[in-house]
Amino acid sequence: MAQIELKDISKHFTVSERPKGNHAAFRSLFHRETHRVEALKHIGFSIEEGELVGYIGPNGAGKSTTVKVMSGILTPEEGECRILGRTPWRERASHVANIGVVFGQRSQLWWDVPTQDSFELLRDIYGIPANLYGERLGELTRALDLEKLLSIPVRQLSLGQRMRCEVAAALLHRPRILFLDEPTIGLDAVSKLSLRQFLKEENQNNGVTMILTTHDMDDVEALCSRVMTIGHGRLLYDGTLQELKETYAPLHRIRATLQENVQLPENFPKGILRWELEGKTYTAIFDSRSTPAHLLISALAKLLPLQDIVVEEQSVDEMVASMYRSLDLS
Amino acid sequence: MHKKDRYKKEEKTDPGGRNPAAYTDYKSPKKAYLAIFRIQFLESIQYRAAGLTGAATSIFWVLIQIVVYTVFFTYADNVSLPGVSNGMSLSQTVSYVWLAEFLLLMQPSNFNPDILRKIESGDVGIELCRPMDLHSLWAAQNAARAVSPLLWRGVPILLAGFLPPPAWRLGPPASPLAFLLFLVGCVGAWILCFSFSTFLCVVRLNVPWGNGPCYMIFLLAMVLGGTYLPLQLWPDFLQPFLLLQPFAGYTDLPLRLYLGTMPLSDAWLLLSLPIFWSAVFLFWGRRLMHRRLKTIVVQGG
Repeated sequence: MAQIELKDISKHFTVSERPKGNHAAFRSLFHRETHRVEALKHIGFSIEEGELVGYIGPNGAGKSTTVKVMSGILTPEEGECRILGRTPWRERASHVANIGVVFGQRSQLWWDVPTQDSFELLRDIYGIPANLYGERLGELTRALDLEKLLSIPVRQLSLGQRMRCEVAAALLHRPRILFLDEPTIGLDAVSKLSLRQFLKEENQNNGVTMILTTHDMDDVEALCSRVMTIGHGRLLYDGTLQELKETYAPLHRIRATLQENVQLPENFPKGILRWELEGKTYTAIFDSRSTPAHLLISALAKLLPLQDIVVEEQSVDEMVASMYRSLDLS
Repeated sequence: MHKKDRYKKEEKTDPGGRNPAAYTDYKSPKKAYLAIFRIQFLESIQYRAAGLTGAATSIFWVLIQIVVYTVFFTYADNVSLPGVSNGMSLSQTVSYVWLAEFLLLMQPSNFNPDILRKIESGDVGIELCRPMDLHSLWAAQNAARAVSPLLWRGVPILLAGFLPPPAWRLGPPASPLAFLLFLVGCVGAWILCFSFSTFLCVVRLNVPWGNGPCYMIFLLAMVLGGTYLPLQLWPDFLQPFLLLQPFAGYTDLPLRLYLGTMPLSDAWLLLSLPIFWSAVFLFWGRRLMHRRLKTIVVQGG
């Protein structure tokens, strides 16, 4: 059986609203208008042990709600969820003993005491025997370079340092599943790269299943073999990043730098959908499914005095934007 | 099952043997709540300067109260014996004021800011990601928060109480036994204080409309606890009610024992009342919380 299985999960929230103006404000004292927001509509998927899954979607799509359901915080109105054989919201304590959660925008460390104290608290909470705790802390300290941070109160850490500590805190008890909710938000490039590297290694060495929600598509590209897209509470895509690219970003771009300013010939090679010339930079868009790039390059080489030529994929961000647009999510 | 055994057992059953934490049934051990208590206590006693300045304010306030009581006791009309009102002498009242100011420090006058922040921001959800009982977690935090001001703010108040001339001084307890019972009463007051503050945290979790009403309840509890006026000085017809209501254990009951204004034979009643009310608050709060957690909405992305 899969490690994580969701079937037909639905969850709605009631949101109160009130029109603007004094009259409406007064009225709302006695009668409140509410409406139902369907956060999740019949979501279902299954994830095997050791998978690294990217969970993407626009703001308000239901990503965080799904994570909250899976971590036992929210009870859905409908549907079934089995994680490691347990229903999260029914056996919350036993369930959460086996998972780790990192929220990029929320801290789970104690603000005013040194990180080490927070870690020891977690040791007691998860009942980790002293020898295993020491071993694990050593491992994480080396991998995340925490040596100097352990004695500093959390409030004095920079965001990047704090994030490393948060990740270590979530992994101390060796969870089998790790939920990461926007873990790289606000991090600088170096911190991002090293955090990704660490997550990848943790996944490979310890087989920790990871589910990553993010808006940073570079995270997904660097880490995830599988991508799930959610929008308006529905699961819209579930597959590899490669397939996603082929479906939503088939167009590639050729960017060529020319040796001198030239008049462009009339008849261009077939397969080029559109092109433009700006000074010495020539850009052409083509469909990678029907036109192999090397044919275009050799054809262009005959026509133009090329100095340099690069073939680019559409960036993942552009792809996701076009996907959201085509699925009417934006 | 001992926790080490739990690890061992699972290492056998887990196919990869990689995840010793994958025990079948888990709940944080009692030690975890002690650790929470410890960390919150350490966090709170960091603020030494704030504690000391707070102590200065308290001492000043005590001195003002003593002046006011002295005026009342000297010029009041219906004093049964000269210098005695409703069974309390002026010197007993002075001692009462000093000790009440000390016990006041344990009483909740607002929410534990950590807990309130989590309720308001939705971070309660993160707490639920731990294999802990949220109610016990809050109780442990509130217990630490109740006792931690006694160090930097409480001790200076007591020391200051012994310094002034006799008419202003904190007097000795009625007897050694009375002192012992007073200490037990203080422990009872502490339990009552954190039980009630935990209860109100749960109430706050249940009402989305803000903190104001809860603050009024905190204040009412302190008034009924005898913090501002010894309950013995209230009208006679109110006495049975005042003695039995939940908050007498805050200040009034322990101090009756210290001052000897109540027969020691009644001590068992005095000491069991706060425990009874604490049990009511903890039990009721736990039920309310569990009902609430079923429908909780964790706000924010």
